[in-house]
Amino acid sequence: MNKTKNAVFSYSFLFPSAILTLVLGIYPIAWAFRYMFYNYKGYGEARFTGLDNFSRVLHDSQFWDSVVNTFVYAGGKLLLSIPLSLLLAAILNRGLRGRHLLRAVFFMPTVISTAVMAVVFFTIFNSYNGILNQFLIKFNLTSSGIDWLGPKHAMLTVILVAVWGAVGNYMLLFLAGLQNIPEDVYESSALDGANKVQQFRYITLPMLGPVMQMVIMLAIITALKGYESIMVMTEGGPAGKTEVMFLYLYKLFFPVGGNGASAQVQEFGYGSAVAFVSALIVGIISLVYFYASKRMNRTD
Amino acid sequence: MMSKRFALTSLSVVLALGLTACGSNAESNSAGSGNSKEGEKTKISYWTGDRHDAEFVKEKVAAFNETNTDGIEVELVVKGDDFDTALDLSFQTADSPDVIRVKENTIGTFYKKEYLAPIDEFLTDPLKDKFPAMDDLNTFDGKRYSLPNYGTTMRLIYNKDLFAKAGIENPPATLPELVDTAKKLTEAGKADGAYGFAQNFKNPPSALGRSSRVIAELSGFGGFGYDFKTARFDFSGFKPIIETFKQIKDDGSMLPGVESLDIDPLRAQFAEGKIGMYLSFSSEPGVYSTQFPAKIDWAAAPAPTIDGNVNGASGFLGGQWLALSSKSKHKEAAWKFMEYMYSDAILTDYQEKGFGISMVPSISAAAKTPDVKGIEGFLPNAHDGVWPVYPTVAPEGMKSDDAFFKYMLNGGDLDAVITDLNKRYNAALDDAIANDGLKAEPDPSFDPAALGGKFAK
Repeated sequence: MNKTKNAVFSYSFLFPSAILTLVLGIYPIAWAFRYMFYNYKGYGEARFTGLDNFSRVLHDSQFWDSVVNTFVYAGGKLLLSIPLSLLLAAILNRGLRGRHLLRAVFFMPTVISTAVMAVVFFTIFNSYNGILNQFLIKFNLTSSGIDWLGPKHAMLTVILVAVWGAVGNYMLLFLAGLQNIPEDVYESSALDGANKVQQFRYITLPMLGPVMQMVIMLAIITALKGYESIMVMTEGGPAGKTEVMFLYLYKLFFPVGGNGASAQVQEFGYGSAVAFVSALIVGIISLVYFYASKRMNRTD
Repeated sequence: MMSKRFALTSLSVVLALGLTACGSNAESNSAGSGNSKEGEKTKISYWTGDRHDAEFVKEKVAAFNETNTDGIEVELVVKGDDFDTALDLSFQTADSPDVIRVKENTIGTFYKKEYLAPIDEFLTDPLKDKFPAMDDLNTFDGKRYSLPNYGTTMRLIYNKDLFAKAGIENPPATLPELVDTAKKLTEAGKADGAYGFAQNFKNPPSALGRSSRVIAELSGFGGFGYDFKTARFDFSGFKPIIETFKQIKDDGSMLPGVESLDIDPLRAQFAEGKIGMYLSFSSEPGVYSTQFPAKIDWAAAPAPTIDGNVNGASGFLGGQWLALSSKSKHKEAAWKFMEYMYSDAILTDYQEKGFGISMVPSISAAAKTPDVKGIEGFLPNAHDGVWPVYPTVAPEGMKSDDAFFKYMLNGGDLDAVITDLNKRYNAALDDAIANDGLKAEPDPSFDPAALGGKFAK
């Protein structure tokens, strides 16, 4: 009887989140799983096309270009944000005056809406009246301004914005990891004559392994799936230079049109197939990383 | 212990019920139930993506809410560029609007998605006579879904001050003149940060939909590459147009940063005098009188043609304005609001204030020329005409606007780009004909030049 009561009690807690997961998580995935075998434009009859959508994905150079762009974007973001956030965490873990304020300042971008953040950065970086170019011209650092969102620099710009948005979050996680390292390990190493760099190399980094593994995993997945700030700043342009995988996918479901433009067609069927392949790519990379980084999880 | 458990269980039940309550609440709001606290008001919502007339429409909606005696309250929702997406999402939930702003490039899709309800039951004979029925623009399968208000013409908009500074008297009438004028304007204005030409390439479909489209149509080619004579796609007419745009960019006569320029920032730059010329719609005078008051003297002229010969008609876009939602639970109230918006007083005011040029014959005959700076250049002329509706297809791979913009940036073989576009668009057309019931019949007698002259001689 008591067992039954416990079960009812547990299920009553699980019920709301189970329903939400079912409706907001499982149902859309099941929907996409079905429609990736169909040609469906959001109206009329969905036409079964077997594996045609997947064959199209294989030959879709726009999609594979977006995959390459995603790797460049994710790689750039990771290479800059992980060392930077670790450095910030290491600095702010010391007894620095004002460290609490600085932690809050660096963490702030995490709580700001991505879209709002991207709009602000757009006003900073845009080439025709952006604040950054005005500043550079005023101080004679450039004569005609730099086309930050143009074909040459757009990818670098969106990476920098992504790094700005991510560093505070990873810094906080690293900080939590750093604070879990016992102080006496540092003390004994100091007695053995280790300097700060050696302590960082031989104590901090290895003991931060599990946190590092988790942070990098999170960073990889977030970077591979990220597209929101890019959508606001460049809409994937110019000419696809910043079109990442999930932005390409978004546009299949919600194509970009506008006044005077031709009528747009939503491609739910093909979009579902692209979503599946994209998820597969993210999943495979995450798994490969997970197994490759298992050593980091060992603190012994 | 037991009481704690009971309390926690109760809490979870309350939370679950709370969620349910949220759902039903949203439903009743959308339904605009007359049982709300505010009494007997029937609430309906009107969604529009138009910003150029937002203040005007807001005023009219407020006046309707104050004066109507049927207890109807309209909530006006002005969406941005995400209008279509927001509408799609709203139709998946219970929050869809009652009245929807439809355009020439959305009404067909909304009809197919069954978002719209026919309005025939509300149309009296005088109304049917007053508002022309236009196939695929407001009428589908014999049923009317919207009524026209204003039409939109497309023109070259130019900075008269910069033209004077560069010593240029007339706006360009051919593509070579467009290149030359852009160069001269840049030479005259570059020191002050002004450039000859601009396009809003952050969104290539919007940029080319207001520029290459009108040049192609006026030169006798389908604005989206579709040839009504053969019922096939053929983008070859775009070759000189895209080469011209590329030339202007390569010459350095295009505003720097057009790759990330949206239409509103473009307008803001034009209003500041930083742009010599661009191509756009007749909504611009409204924009420069309210949204971005222009600091320069400007005017509009017919778009240039490829070689100076007008072999077609400059698209006069319109034929629809408001439509009734198929999901509206208050269709009669929604229609009353539509009837009010389509009243002579509002349609006349709409034209006279310069928000658009009426497509309703009785209004255009009586309404004064709009009292807004710059509109005179947009008034219909002998070369404005309504093109048939272009077929909507979903080609595999890159869309034409993106492919052309990519060529403008990176160069390459434009002939190969056009051949590839023709192949993919025609394959998509064949697929739509075979599987989606799309009708595309060749019309050997189709004469694009004959489309003009119906709204002005």
